[in-house]
Amino acid sequence: MTEIISIRKPLNPNADSDVESSDEEMLEASLAPKNNNQSIVTPGELITEDPIWMRGHGTYYLNEKTYSSVAGTISKVNKLLSVVPLRGRYQPETGDHVVGRITEVGPKRWKVDIGARQDAALMLGSVNLPGGVLRRKSESDELQMRNFLKEGDLLNAEVQSIFQDGSASLHTRSLKYGKLRNGYFVKVPSSLIIRQKNHLHELPGSITIIIGVNGYIWISKTLYQHQKSLPSTTGNNALDSTVSSAAAKSNSYTPGQGSVSITRLEEESSWEIYSDKNEPISVATKDTIARYANCVKALAKCDIGITETRIIAAYEASMVYENAGLLLDEETMKSIGEDVLNRERMRG
Amino acid sequence: MELYSPEGLRVDGRRWNELRRFYCRINTHPIVADGSAYVEAGNTKIVCLLNGPHEPTRSQMNTQKGSLDIKLHVSPFSTTERRKVTRNDRRIQELSTILKNTFEQVVILKNYPRTIIEVNVRVLAQDGGLLAACCNAITLALVDAGIALYDYISAVSAGVFDNQILLDLNRLEEQDLSSVTIGVVGKTKKLSLVLSETRLPQDRLAKVFEVAVNGCHQLKDQMDAQVAKKGREKAITEELKTNWVQ
Repeated sequence: MTEIISIRKPLNPNADSDVESSDEEMLEASLAPKNNNQSIVTPGELITEDPIWMRGHGTYYLNEKTYSSVAGTISKVNKLLSVVPLRGRYQPETGDHVVGRITEVGPKRWKVDIGARQDAALMLGSVNLPGGVLRRKSESDELQMRNFLKEGDLLNAEVQSIFQDGSASLHTRSLKYGKLRNGYFVKVPSSLIIRQKNHLHELPGSITIIIGVNGYIWISKTLYQHQKSLPSTTGNNALDSTVSSAAAKSNSYTPGQGSVSITRLEEESSWEIYSDKNEPISVATKDTIARYANCVKALAKCDIGITETRIIAAYEASMVYENAGLLLDEETMKSIGEDVLNRERMRG
Repeated sequence: MELYSPEGLRVDGRRWNELRRFYCRINTHPIVADGSAYVEAGNTKIVCLLNGPHEPTRSQMNTQKGSLDIKLHVSPFSTTERRKVTRNDRRIQELSTILKNTFEQVVILKNYPRTIIEVNVRVLAQDGGLLAACCNAITLALVDAGIALYDYISAVSAGVFDNQILLDLNRLEEQDLSSVTIGVVGKTKKLSLVLSETRLPQDRLAKVFEVAVNGCHQLKDQMDAQVAKKGREKAITEELKTNWVQ
């Protein structure tokens, strides 16, 4: 066996912490499996020679041995052995609340980019069309599909089912789903999002946020209807009540609302859900939206899981900086991330 | 100028069996790409960005397995003399095809039907061993993106000078010596890539391969260490995330 000499970058105390001498790394590697029970495997690494395990995702089988095919942690569920990758694209699951963007209008369906391996399908039959829930879909609906949703439109939807090849089928058959407007779109890695009961939250400052499980986040101005239909989920009651009362006051005057007859009401409101026009948004609201968006980016930068409480904590921490644009500075982002974690530790 | 001195030193002061300083990082561009890597082998510097697997255009659709698209971009400032880069440089195109053929064997494409994996390799500086460095960068980007691979591919070049084998040639040596670039699958002795643009003495071939394979194994260890280190960092933040939910 020929010996090979190799050198590495010299250890420099001023450089990034990830430049370490090989000795230290080796020490770390030998300690790691003892410290955390989930050890890291890398592609091509032998996991087991025992044939009793069923081989799941992230593994392959060769000569009666099971190897890992991705870098990640081993997960064992009963007899199923799989490797969960460290990073990777979003994998849709039935019931996920996602935000997506229309990429294509096809026969009786829209193609929606949800950040997964393949675009999801939104069937014409699984959207609410103007004219009530019980309406039948006719050929004329098929012809005017672009009037409802066209390429580039953003929408929030639920994953209805998963096809054989892993792509998703969506539906928007609920009032909380549908086209998005009055807001700002942020994309973060989907691994940072935790699946929860509710993905639509009201934030202080009359802002609504939709944290899509796929890592697509929509931050928008709270609409009058939302205030009514959604129970407030924020723990911060005092703050929230002042916010909602202020919002209610500003929205209390809605011209023409009393004049719509009860039979036309449904139709009117339904057409409105496919509207492309933004409501008037004040500069202050726009500023708040921008601040929230930059807070989300800061959390993503620090690899912190994104939840409603953390966004609010980051927002409060960001108030030190007068201009929301200042938050885009890398150092600021890091300090906000640390701030959020410190607050959590203090709360216990 | 002598490429190998009687004392056993090369132009840059290395021994015959010495690799250049190898430095790599993964996940360098977490926002813009699904997988990214940066590789330095001596003065050769490569950035690799990978997007996918994602929805392909109609013409690229393959219902049986995923498609792999590798594009190699050589920056005009990557050599000592600024060179204008033409769009369809034959050499660059050939290298892209070689890389594509290599990685189609190692990526488990049957897991990704109806998708495309787009790889963009950007050469920032070249000082020999271009194909080898690209190969290593693509491997790391694939691992970072969480794409299923049978194993790592690590590559290195080796050449012959007056019966003396030299490992990991730099640009000066590459210009004057006959050399071969090989890519090795994991820690095996299987070759997934062999490219020689010059003539090699046949009797030295076995020895050249042996040295190069060992060099590849060394590089594989270094890449693996970087991946494992990133993995442990990630595991810690993951813990942080789950703790909160409980």
